[in-house]
Amino acid sequence: MTHNDIISKIRSGGQNELGLVYAEYREEFLRWITKEYHCSDDDSKDIYQLTILIFYDNIKQGKLENLVSSVKTYLFGIGKNVVRDVLRKEKRYTPINQEKWLKEYLVEDQAHAPDERAFDIAGIALGKLGQPCQRLIEMFYYEKKSMVEISEALQFKNPETAKNQKCKCMARLRKLFEEERSRTQNTINHVY
Amino acid sequence: MYTDESDMTLVERYFDADLDDADMQEVTRRVETDDSFRALFEREQLLILVIRYQGQHDKLRYLKKMERHLSQDIHRAPTLSLRYWPYLVAAAVVGVLVALFVWLAVPKDSDKLFQAYFKPYPNMFEPGVRSVRETTQRRQALRAYELGDYETAARGLKQAYHDHPEPGLLLLLGNANLSLGHVPEAEENFNALIKNYDDLDLQAKWYLSLCYLKQGDVERAKIMLKELGATEISYASKAKELFEKVN
Repeated sequence: MTHNDIISKIRSGGQNELGLVYAEYREEFLRWITKEYHCSDDDSKDIYQLTILIFYDNIKQGKLENLVSSVKTYLFGIGKNVVRDVLRKEKRYTPINQEKWLKEYLVEDQAHAPDERAFDIAGIALGKLGQPCQRLIEMFYYEKKSMVEISEALQFKNPETAKNQKCKCMARLRKLFEEERSRTQNTINHVY
Repeated sequence: MYTDESDMTLVERYFDADLDDADMQEVTRRVETDDSFRALFEREQLLILVIRYQGQHDKLRYLKKMERHLSQDIHRAPTLSLRYWPYLVAAAVVGVLVALFVWLAVPKDSDKLFQAYFKPYPNMFEPGVRSVRETTQRRQALRAYELGDYETAARGLKQAYHDHPEPGLLLLLGNANLSLGHVPEAEENFNALIKNYDDLDLQAKWYLSLCYLKQGDVERAKIMLKELGATEISYASKAKELFEKVN
């Protein structure tokens, strides 16, 4: 199996393939980062997890199509940037806030950074959406699965049904977002 | 927010990469010139961003779960400051002497090597969407595997694989059988994995080489290890090391 095979497996596959990569390079990465940056055990693991998530995101978003080096070199390259960024943003002995870091990573990628409060409201709306809608739109927008793959995984009649369902789920999410936004607005008005 | 149905469809199709060039340009133009259209566009962008964030959050949870299983095996040196260097050097010298003694003292027969190198593959295979009965049975088998109850795991995994064949289940079934000393069954599992699937072939070959070692078939183990040692990744260094020892 070549390095580009791994990339294409992750692109077409899902969680399990990612898990295989995680296990494969874990020991070497943790050893390297501990030695090179004197990170604690917990910090090294947190950084490795962020590294793997960016690796996955780069493949899924089409930023990484073909590797010119090895998976290991690529992962260590990401890791180096993550650890530098973490060390720059966090105080030396503060535990890494992975969720905050991931949010900033996503937002930095946008041409216009979204409003912090709107981001939180959208998160609440998504939480209220429920299953299978949440899973469906996550598979489509995050995992970049095709409608054929989604209809098979979630047992829809055909890809067309899955697509219709995805549109309905997004319409419902927009509605929930607007409701949540006006509710929050009313609460603020009421307080003042 | 005022929502025009056709505008909303246009925005949704833009983010789904489902528009031709002319429509793409139309969206870009209206985002720049039409305030209410831009609001629709930015809301959709925000919702997709939050979906991606949630996706990352779920993946992070999965990695953390995996880490809990894997970290039971790790033995890494802690970070030490410079003042500990003399102790480290002394410890390293003692370590080398102990390792040399162990290397000379331990007989390098194939079963001993098997014991030294065999470590059951961690469970990193999540269930997809299945019927309740299948999911429960599968989960119980995987749980037993994680707990080291290989007898129950082998039984459950065999049934789960029979009901819904997946390469991950076969790899774990082979490992459970190998842990129980059911080497011919394990060999059969790993051979089926190599023959019937494109995934996990390197892992299967590694465990197959251990099956051969366990049975004392050093020659077949050597062929497999040599093949693994020549691969670009996965098990190459471990296979080379073991090949040197059996050689």
